[in-house]
Amino acid sequence: MAGSKSNRLKFFIGGGLFLIAVILMIISATRATAEFFMTVRELKETDRDLAGQNLRISGAVIGESIHYDPETGYLRFVIAHIPGDDAEIRRSGGLNAVLHQAVNDPDNLRLVVLYDGPAPDMLLDEAQAILTGQLDEDGEFLASELLLKCPSKYEEALPDQVVD
Amino acid sequence: MIAPFGYLTLALAFLLAVYGLGAVIWGIYQRSVPWIESARLALVLIFPLVTVSLVAITVLLLDHRFDVAYVYSVINRGMPAYLRFTALWGGQSGSLLFWTWLMAAFAMIFALKNWRDSFDLLPWSLAAIFLLVGFFLLLNVFIENPFERFWLLPDGSRILSVFQPRGAFPLMPQDGMGLNPLLRHPGMIWHPPTLYIGFVGFLIPFALAISSLATGKKDNRWIEIARPYVLVSWVFLSLGLVLGMRWAYDILGWGGYWGWDPVEVVALMPWLSATAYLHTALLQKRNGSFKRWNLSLSILTFVLVILGTFLTRAGILASIHAFADSDIGVPKFVITAIITLGSLGLLIYRWPELGDEQELEFRLSREVFTIFSNLVLLSILAVCFLGVFYPIISELLTDTLITVGPAWYKQILGPLFTLLMLLLGVCPLIAWSLTRVSILKQKLQIVLPLSLLPPIFAWLLGGVSNLFVLFTFWLVSFSGLVIMREYTRSVGKAWNRSPGRVGQALWSPIQRNRRRFGGLIVHLGIVLMSIGIIGIEGLQQQTQVTLAIGESVSIGGYEFTFTGLDNYNTADGRNVTESVLTITQNGRPLGALYPQRDFYPAMGMAITQPGLQSNLGRDLYAILIDWRPVTQDEATFRVYINPLVNWLWIGTGVLVLGSIMAVWPERVKARQGVTGYLVEN
Repeated sequence: MAGSKSNRLKFFIGGGLFLIAVILMIISATRATAEFFMTVRELKETDRDLAGQNLRISGAVIGESIHYDPETGYLRFVIAHIPGDDAEIRRSGGLNAVLHQAVNDPDNLRLVVLYDGPAPDMLLDEAQAILTGQLDEDGEFLASELLLKCPSKYEEALPDQVVD
Repeated sequence: MIAPFGYLTLALAFLLAVYGLGAVIWGIYQRSVPWIESARLALVLIFPLVTVSLVAITVLLLDHRFDVAYVYSVINRGMPAYLRFTALWGGQSGSLLFWTWLMAAFAMIFALKNWRDSFDLLPWSLAAIFLLVGFFLLLNVFIENPFERFWLLPDGSRILSVFQPRGAFPLMPQDGMGLNPLLRHPGMIWHPPTLYIGFVGFLIPFALAISSLATGKKDNRWIEIARPYVLVSWVFLSLGLVLGMRWAYDILGWGGYWGWDPVEVVALMPWLSATAYLHTALLQKRNGSFKRWNLSLSILTFVLVILGTFLTRAGILASIHAFADSDIGVPKFVITAIITLGSLGLLIYRWPELGDEQELEFRLSREVFTIFSNLVLLSILAVCFLGVFYPIISELLTDTLITVGPAWYKQILGPLFTLLMLLLGVCPLIAWSLTRVSILKQKLQIVLPLSLLPPIFAWLLGGVSNLFVLFTFWLVSFSGLVIMREYTRSVGKAWNRSPGRVGQALWSPIQRNRRRFGGLIVHLGIVLMSIGIIGIEGLQQQTQVTLAIGESVSIGGYEFTFTGLDNYNTADGRNVTESVLTITQNGRPLGALYPQRDFYPAMGMAITQPGLQSNLGRDLYAILIDWRPVTQDEATFRVYINPLVNWLWIGTGVLVLGSIMAVWPERVKARQGVTGYLVEN
């Protein structure tokens, strides 16, 4: 039995050392790359120093602001604040309504976004953009990654054109 | 009449599932064979009924029946027939019906094929299958019903209903919304169904594991019966994932070939646990160990599948793949909880009885290496799980929402995948039970020096200086050579048995031990896939440039010249802007790339189509970013050189081939001592 116990101990030590290594890798990767998820309002109103901090921002794309600058190679557009909380979005009539409202409210908080890369196909008016990147000195957002959720005008709408 | 008919057969299938579940539980309780047999036949009948439903919705799609809300939402008149067909899985309720249909197909095959050899395992398996099939039918019948139609009520309001409400008039829109342009791609034909088959197939191994637990079996029979289902599901899941990569690669904005998008990660998770299972199942068959482990992995795989559909379809994950918000969140959550807690309870209940028959010793053996590779696979799984749930966990614990992205995954999983590749390479050299170091040294004599050649060539001739890339090059050549060594040794033995017969010497080792060589070929496929991944991750070159007509840009030894831009309308309603980049290498013409942008006026949306030219060494890949609209004399491009990326697709083909070989039914019963593909010869 003693031999069996020490045998099992070897498995536990070996496995344990490996798992510790994995956990250490997770901790160091999280320190280096994890992003704070914020809404445009939280970003504008926070007291935290966000310089150099990885951020993830969600907002509604304002279609007419989308502009590509061939000189610098930057894509530039503006997003408007939308709530980050699902329950709040639901209370306000769902994501589509919230996006529509956010884009058309002139008093809404807005954020300028710069993106070094080709415009994704789904970068459309009233799309929900989820951006990863950092703030620059001018308070503009330098996005390294763009994730877009299509304005889902494909869903649930009742038709208008009708044949008798 | 087609819509109500399709709905009625669906409702009938649901009633049969309810009946079947009741009958099989009653049969188990009463120990009554006729009741169980009756449930089995009910399960067989569900498939044809759901097939009728599926045909009905397909006919409605092909026939432009826009009075059906689902048809209206996913197709329009401009779409070709093949896309109207794929629209079957282009929206929530249709894809759910397709999923249910596949599940019913697997259930029917199981009920027809396996009931003789698994009669004692059958009743509880049926119960688990009925629960799941019934649940998905319930979703289709009551919540996500693809057969609902538009109606105009006398008071002017519009409603959705399958059957005509009293006094209502049918509404027939002239045209539909059409499928999201991003989904109008040949990838839409193959990627979703392949992936779905992979996911759904794990239902059978799950049901068998549950049944084995419920009946208190301690033998390996559930593993033997589950084997073809696991392998078939695994290969379809692998193929589905890679087809998704290929689609992403062909369409810009989807993030290269793999973007660590939460839904991608969620789809990878069951693949990881199934891969771990495939390896420890061998250990159980060899020496009766790892019973708890295998049962847990088989259950975990299916729980991860259901969890994945819950996260994706309930609109919880922010992702390109996500469906629109739906009411199926709560029921999906409930079924995930039921099967998780139910299986966990069964596992705990049987835990003490399922000890190892033979204790494994900690020493240099294939067994220990298999365990280690399992540990690595499951660590990768845990990291994926953590990554997906990080936002939720962080918000609960710290009140700030923290998310992780591709950089996080790459930093942690890069070393883990590398370690996995090392284990894959070394494993065939390690014998079962025990390997002496001296023997290992002898085996490495030829392989090790040979494996150093490709990285040295890459360094000297290819100019590759990144140490990690060179190391991974060594790793894949080493793994590949070890596999080749196993094969050539078997060929040598066959040659010695019957000298002079070349064909037989080459083929007979594989034929004699299909499971073993099937497995080795799958590993070879993974080695080849890794070459492609190293190429695109480690050696990719790119540049972005604005060119006037006649100007050119050089990258990676290739010269790209902007020679023309054209704008035209197509018959299917697109407005296409197509550019021409002619390629030369050292003055030698190499054809041209045609990157283009397709504008869909009806949707107000453009789709970027890259220009692509590929061979075994590299892909030349260009995207049209912007252009001067009127004069058309200047345009901006992003040009990529993607070395070796084609090996990713070729490796996948090899992997599929190996899986087919491993799962192909063997004519002769396996020889004594042959318990799996990894047996030492």
